[in-house]
Amino acid sequence: MGQAAVFTRNIDGSLCALCGKENPSGSDFPFRKKLPFCEKCAPLVERWPYPLWLKLSLAGLALLLAASLLHGRTYFHAGSEMYRGEKLVKQAKYAEAVPHLKEAVRIAPGSDKAVLLLAKAALKIGDMKTAAMALQGHEEGHFENGQDQDVQEMKALWERATGAAKKANEAGKLALAGGKDVEAAKLFREAAAEYPESKEMTAAMPYFDEGAAFEQKNYDRFLSLAQEVFAKKPNATNAATIASAWACKYAVSGEVKFKDEAEQFLLKGQGMAQSDAEEKKQMEDYAPRIRYRIDSRQIITTQEYNKRFRSSEKEKK
Amino acid sequence: MFFIPGIVITVLTFPGVIVHEAGHLFFCRLFGLQVYGVCFFQFKNPAGYVIHENSDNFTAQFFVSMGPFISNTLLCVLFCTAAFLPAWELKIADPLAYFFYWLGISIGMHAFPSTTDLKHLWQRAPALAKKGNLLAIVSLPLAGLLVVLNYARVVWADLGYGILVGVLGPIAIFKALVR
Repeated sequence: MGQAAVFTRNIDGSLCALCGKENPSGSDFPFRKKLPFCEKCAPLVERWPYPLWLKLSLAGLALLLAASLLHGRTYFHAGSEMYRGEKLVKQAKYAEAVPHLKEAVRIAPGSDKAVLLLAKAALKIGDMKTAAMALQGHEEGHFENGQDQDVQEMKALWERATGAAKKANEAGKLALAGGKDVEAAKLFREAAAEYPESKEMTAAMPYFDEGAAFEQKNYDRFLSLAQEVFAKKPNATNAATIASAWACKYAVSGEVKFKDEAEQFLLKGQGMAQSDAEEKKQMEDYAPRIRYRIDSRQIITTQEYNKRFRSSEKEKK
Repeated sequence: MFFIPGIVITVLTFPGVIVHEAGHLFFCRLFGLQVYGVCFFQFKNPAGYVIHENSDNFTAQFFVSMGPFISNTLLCVLFCTAAFLPAWELKIADPLAYFFYWLGISIGMHAFPSTTDLKHLWQRAPALAKKGNLLAIVSLPLAGLLVVLNYARVVWADLGYGILVGVLGPIAIFKALVR
């Protein structure tokens, strides 16, 4: 049975632990912590220097990074607008989101995310024009991942909105054709129900209802609708529509008070039209028809009126 | 899976190796550890190294071992943040942005400490953790996770980490900034 072996590291203090150089004097080099180092290696071991190329590279990178951050200011602006818009969209504050997202898309029209968010927000507030502009400016509406949930959601929204717009357009054509106001109002109502986000459609609905009420000879309803519209939007045309409704009531009943109301609103409309060239032009078209209704107590459609009185005028010209 | 020799990846992402070794050296100097040799980059395995003394100070050991993980991760986030918006979110073809993205991900994918570094921590941490050393407590799960990720390098866990940090980091920064 022998004793347990004890191993100790044998360090020759006269040899540098790093470069292996022998101390010419034969004595030990000074020990730094546990090892001997020559005077050249000792400072190196204690504080190994960063090479110059590393310092220069890091300085170059720092400069490049600063330049990139400066150069990327526009991107940061676009990004912050996009994230702000995204946050508002998530909170269903679509109207507030649109200006932020418009700014993001202006800088980055190729960004799927920004375009999708803008199209969605715009469609949610019934702004089809903005949505269409964003989508058309983005590779004609093509997205990197067409199967993405957001793309699908926007697509469904877009199809619903365009479908409704098509119906509304058809309704407009029917109304202009004459004699199909009831059908036009029904179609327009369907369009507005399909895309209730559209404030324009909702606002236009009473005009179609007025046409339908006129066609159905329901002049009380015609008058009540015209008064509602005028209360919301008091302008020359809407005042003239009230005059038209009173004139209808006068034509069928002969009651003078209805005639007076019609005259009063016709004058009001003409007065209001003086300040607006477009309305003035419309009144020049509308007022003679109302005047004819009051004077003759005959209710005829626009088309009939034009046929009787305006085709000859055109011929004369 | 396709096989690309490790040296090719290392050469393509050489800034990450340099930053990793610079991180080791920085923390060695910070904690006054002796350094016996440094290689910032070479065309063989290992691509870089810092030979330094072992420290009895666990804090020093922790930071020298984990320092590159922290510094590479932070630099990855920083460089990718400069490039993230144009390259990722806004889809603007900006060469400088692509350069920074390559740089950021190269640095990020070399964040993992070597298994040797982790072994030293792993040996000392349990005893210190029992004594309530906070750093040791933190380093235990972290070192464990990093050992697993180190082995997962064969399935590109390092590249995955670089991309993840380079994407999620900037998103977190921008979302925090836009309130």
